[in-house]
Amino acid sequence: MTRAAQDPRLPRLLHPAAWWAWAIGLAMAASRTTNPLLLALVVAVAGYVVAARRERGAASPFGAFLRLGLFVIAMRVVLVALLGGGVPGQTVLLNLPQIPLPTGSSGVRLGGPVTLEGVLAAAYDGARLAAVLACIGAANALASPRRLLRYVPATLYEVGTALVVALTYAPQLVDDARRVRAARRLRGHAGRGPRELARLAVPVLDSALERSLDLAASMESRGYGRSVHRDASSRRKATALTLFGLGGVVAGVYGLLDGGSAPLLGLPLLLAGSAAAAASLAVGARRERRSRYRPDPWAAPEWVVASSGAMVGGLVMVAAQRAMAGIILQTSPAVWPTLPWLPALGVLLGLIPAWLAPMPPLRARERAGGPSDINAADINNPDTRPDDIHPQHIGSTP
Amino acid sequence: MISFENVGVRFDDGAKPVLSGVDLHVDEGELVLVVGATGSGKTTLLRCVNGLVPHFSGGTLIGRVTVDGRDTRTHRPRDLADIVGVVGQDPAAAFVTDTVEEELAYGMESLGVHGDVMRQRVEETLDLLGLADVRGRTLRTLSGGQQQRVAIGGVLAAHPRILVLDEPTSALDPVAAEEVLAALTRLVHDLGLTVLLAEHRLERVVQYADRVVVVENGHVSCDLPAAAMAMSPVSPPIVDLGRLAGWSPLPLSVRDARRVAGPMRANLAGRLPTRVVRSLPMDAQSQPLLTTRALVVNRGRRPVLRGIDLQVRAGEVVALMGRNGSGKSTLLAAACGQLPARAGSLRTGGLDPATLKPRELLRHVGLVPQDPGMLLYAESVGAECRAADIDVRAAAGTTRALLRHLAPDVADSTHPRDLSEGQRLALALAIVLAGAPPLVLLDEPTRGLDYGAKARLVASLRSLAAEMHGVLVATHDVELVAVLADRVMVIADGEVVTDGPAASVLAGSPAFAPQVAKVMHPQPWLSVADVASALEAS
Amino acid sequence: MTASGLRHAQKWLTPGNPVLAVRWRAATTLAATTLVGLAAFGWPFLARPSSALAHSTDAPWLFVLLIALLAALVMAELSSGGMDAKTVAVLGVLAAAGGALRVFSAGTAGLEPIFFLIVVAGRVLGRGMGFVLGALAVLVGAFLTGGIGPWAPFQMIAAGWVGFGAGCLPRASGRRERVVLAAYGLVAGLAYGFVMNLWFWPFLTSGAPVGMAFVPGQAMTSNLSHYGAFYLATSLAWDLPRGILTALLVLVAGRPVLASLRRGTRRAAFGATGQFAQPAGSPNRTCDDCLIGGAGSQDANHQEP
Repeated sequence: MTRAAQDPRLPRLLHPAAWWAWAIGLAMAASRTTNPLLLALVVAVAGYVVAARRERGAASPFGAFLRLGLFVIAMRVVLVALLGGGVPGQTVLLNLPQIPLPTGSSGVRLGGPVTLEGVLAAAYDGARLAAVLACIGAANALASPRRLLRYVPATLYEVGTALVVALTYAPQLVDDARRVRAARRLRGHAGRGPRELARLAVPVLDSALERSLDLAASMESRGYGRSVHRDASSRRKATALTLFGLGGVVAGVYGLLDGGSAPLLGLPLLLAGSAAAAASLAVGARRERRSRYRPDPWAAPEWVVASSGAMVGGLVMVAAQRAMAGIILQTSPAVWPTLPWLPALGVLLGLIPAWLAPMPPLRARERAGGPSDINAADINNPDTRPDDIHPQHIGSTP
Repeated sequence: MISFENVGVRFDDGAKPVLSGVDLHVDEGELVLVVGATGSGKTTLLRCVNGLVPHFSGGTLIGRVTVDGRDTRTHRPRDLADIVGVVGQDPAAAFVTDTVEEELAYGMESLGVHGDVMRQRVEETLDLLGLADVRGRTLRTLSGGQQQRVAIGGVLAAHPRILVLDEPTSALDPVAAEEVLAALTRLVHDLGLTVLLAEHRLERVVQYADRVVVVENGHVSCDLPAAAMAMSPVSPPIVDLGRLAGWSPLPLSVRDARRVAGPMRANLAGRLPTRVVRSLPMDAQSQPLLTTRALVVNRGRRPVLRGIDLQVRAGEVVALMGRNGSGKSTLLAAACGQLPARAGSLRTGGLDPATLKPRELLRHVGLVPQDPGMLLYAESVGAECRAADIDVRAAAGTTRALLRHLAPDVADSTHPRDLSEGQRLALALAIVLAGAPPLVLLDEPTRGLDYGAKARLVASLRSLAAEMHGVLVATHDVELVAVLADRVMVIADGEVVTDGPAASVLAGSPAFAPQVAKVMHPQPWLSVADVASALEAS
Repeated sequence: MTASGLRHAQKWLTPGNPVLAVRWRAATTLAATTLVGLAAFGWPFLARPSSALAHSTDAPWLFVLLIALLAALVMAELSSGGMDAKTVAVLGVLAAAGGALRVFSAGTAGLEPIFFLIVVAGRVLGRGMGFVLGALAVLVGAFLTGGIGPWAPFQMIAAGWVGFGAGCLPRASGRRERVVLAAYGLVAGLAYGFVMNLWFWPFLTSGAPVGMAFVPGQAMTSNLSHYGAFYLATSLAWDLPRGILTALLVLVAGRPVLASLRRGTRRAAFGATGQFAQPAGSPNRTCDDCLIGGAGSQDANHQEP
């Protein structure tokens, strides 16, 4: 399998960490610049790769993150318009009536002139945050965080299992709630409000807790917990690493905040402490390594994807460090933004996965002409039609 | 393989023991059927096998249970996971992962099986249970039978020597139940697995069993099927017929029964069942309680019901039958106003239920849903009844009186979730009847009921019909329909296939015939009660 | 599944007998995370003007990663005693309920019934499980409503604190308990919003309105007043409904939900260990929790079939 995994033409799902690494690289690049054209380019790159390599199936969260980003920009601009921006400016766009506030509001101002410079500064800042959010949305769309749950370290095994159980159960609970709602109507109530919530919550909770006991019995009978080993020596090591790590982190943060003490106390101690804490997570418990069903391989395509993101992030960070023109735009006086070509080329490197990453399998099948929705109920098979209220069926089409 | 040595189980010190003095030995490769009424201790017995009692549920285990040489005193359930696999009633409650493949692999991952071996076993299990074409699907989108097979596959992939199943087919329709049971018998015969199976609907399984264990009030007796069934407190219709006719040895399958039923058929030739055909008064016949004309109902965007014509009159019990997905529940939901009609008309007492407010609606029609627990939210039976009285603005004590009539043995202070299935159904029915609706709908009422509770339900519904209510029951249970219904309507693909008197529909169809009808074919006897009354009359 | 097999009383869950004990390591980790969390939320006020942090725009991102790591560490420590299948299943199901509530309400105008569930469940299950449940519930809600963003670690810790605090409330029962929980719910809802806002505020470095900005390099008190103005202007409208809704739900729906949770956890028999006894007629030795094999397993009444 590993041989075949090297070939980017074989349709398969990429290791989720590769996509997240790519997205974080893009996000780091976006966080370094306020040039709206460059930020738009980053978002466009992310969107293109999502469109090219997203697996067919559930709705993409990318749109939701984009909308959130737009909302952030809008909120910023409105706040600045209403309350005045921190950036002084000359060009006045419009004049809102100023509402006098009681004294002692430390210079807060309501209404008054809305300046172009202020609005632009707010918009650029908001755009930066929106671009970072878009990159994270792309990561969510390309590699669902659920798939990351398979790779939690052994120390987080129980918590990870609880999370998996929760994600599996939540749709059932929603269906239960719908059915209880329908049953409430049968008893003559159609109301909303807190009292109804109680009447709704109790049957749902009761049946959920009963089912959780069945689930626990079934997990126990299937050998839950057998594959995770904790022994005395590993716990001692983990304790030591935890304590050192925590101490390092707390001292490092203190040092960073304080600023006046020795430079050694700040960032280096923080990094050392974080490393120790991470190591404690890794050694605290051991899991049967070989026993994993069809693990995602980490092969050449993963390296390509991850490194393309790293390159984008690195290039833009270097450009920002060198204060290249166009990375940080000045807002007063307001000028038309121009696209700096060298950082732009760097961002375009982020497009590499759109061609060099393997196609996801369902998408490839759809392209080849087969059925793409593996979960589509077979119309001709009445057993799979989810249109009856059956305890195992969903009440509405998925 | 499995041995119980003088085993008893007690949950509270001083309380009555749930099991006592159990001596049981199961050899390898046997299919053992565990039968008993609800509350007799079946589930506890099965849970002792893999140590869930007492390690998981607490309590005291007296005596010793040994499984393949391992004592459950020293082995917790997870230590026995490689030799014992347990499957419960509700497969959806036991799923840990999202897709079929991952679910099959989960047990093996917990046991630390090597990755390559896991792959191989998953493929084998998919083939063994016929799941290969749904391997990548999400578990929620599977049908009930497929889900139960995935649950069995999940425990099977770990290659246990023993399978323990607690009512695996109770949530399934007959077709899916047949699939699951066929898969189980194949496993027993091909792989030599030892299977311990508890079931309520004995008519499906008793002919496959090697031995039968009867649990009654915590005491256990084990015997060959024919002998055990002769003395068992719970028995399927075919066994009741055999006892009535005095056949010995007791035939357990339709084929065996037909071979010995010749003399009885000859005895009853030419006679007809004396079930009273009520002649309905003319004015009742002019205003049906429920009328649908060319009814089309959608779920989401897909039409589920395509042109249904149906009438339910006062005083009659109509059974709605059909496979899963044919639209039975949708029809019931439309009849009580939960789904609007896309085309055609549906009238309850002359009004369209979808336009009625809930308070008015419950005076016209009442629905007991598939899971009666969804109706209940109070902390005690008494509080539930009082709340129902307030909801329907009836006199205080109405619901309690109804409940006393339906299920006399329910105490006021019991928590509704602690009631047995039959008692919970009775409580839900009492709540629905508190508003005195003329039309009563029931959706799959016999899921999880034992024969005693079923008999009480039949008596309650027939008395409702005698009081001029109209009853519409959606069910898969042919035996229930045989004793209860006046008319039967079969729906397939959203359309009506058959609509006629129960006797002709049931006796005439090989798929829907109850056991007695199959045995007495071509004579039109539907139930043991019919045969008994005919024999008495002669 | 019939209730017959599990109809037995177990000890009530009391604050002194929690399901998930918080051992000293977990307590230390939680304390350290709290400190770093305070720094993460409050660094605009706490940073001295001369520190490197005060002038950088990267601090929020640094703290996101740090809090994510520490949140993982806290969860690992709390579960290091080995959570058994019952605990995992109950946690999972309650977290699913919380996540589903999130889907329904989607946080519009701060109305989030998820906090009602966290407060009530934290009260019933105790501190440790309350923390884990709070964190998992918001995480599940995030999974279900769209995705994991940079706010997720902060939400987890903050919601975990809400659950933890609910488990720390003094003993009470009946009406008084509900009043105490409602008051706690109000405070917790407001505090949650206050703290989450703090996380977001330093991002508004240069574009923020006059008098509300985080001005790097200024003294703590002036920054504090700036934040106060910002908070009043923007978030109070969202946090007050959250707190009020939580309190209202506790008062109105608290009794049945508390009873339901208590009954469920009682039936679960957390921490129940089986007991074993010899059958009557054999020498009267009861062997409590005979998990070590061999000794006492000879019974004189061994019967062959």
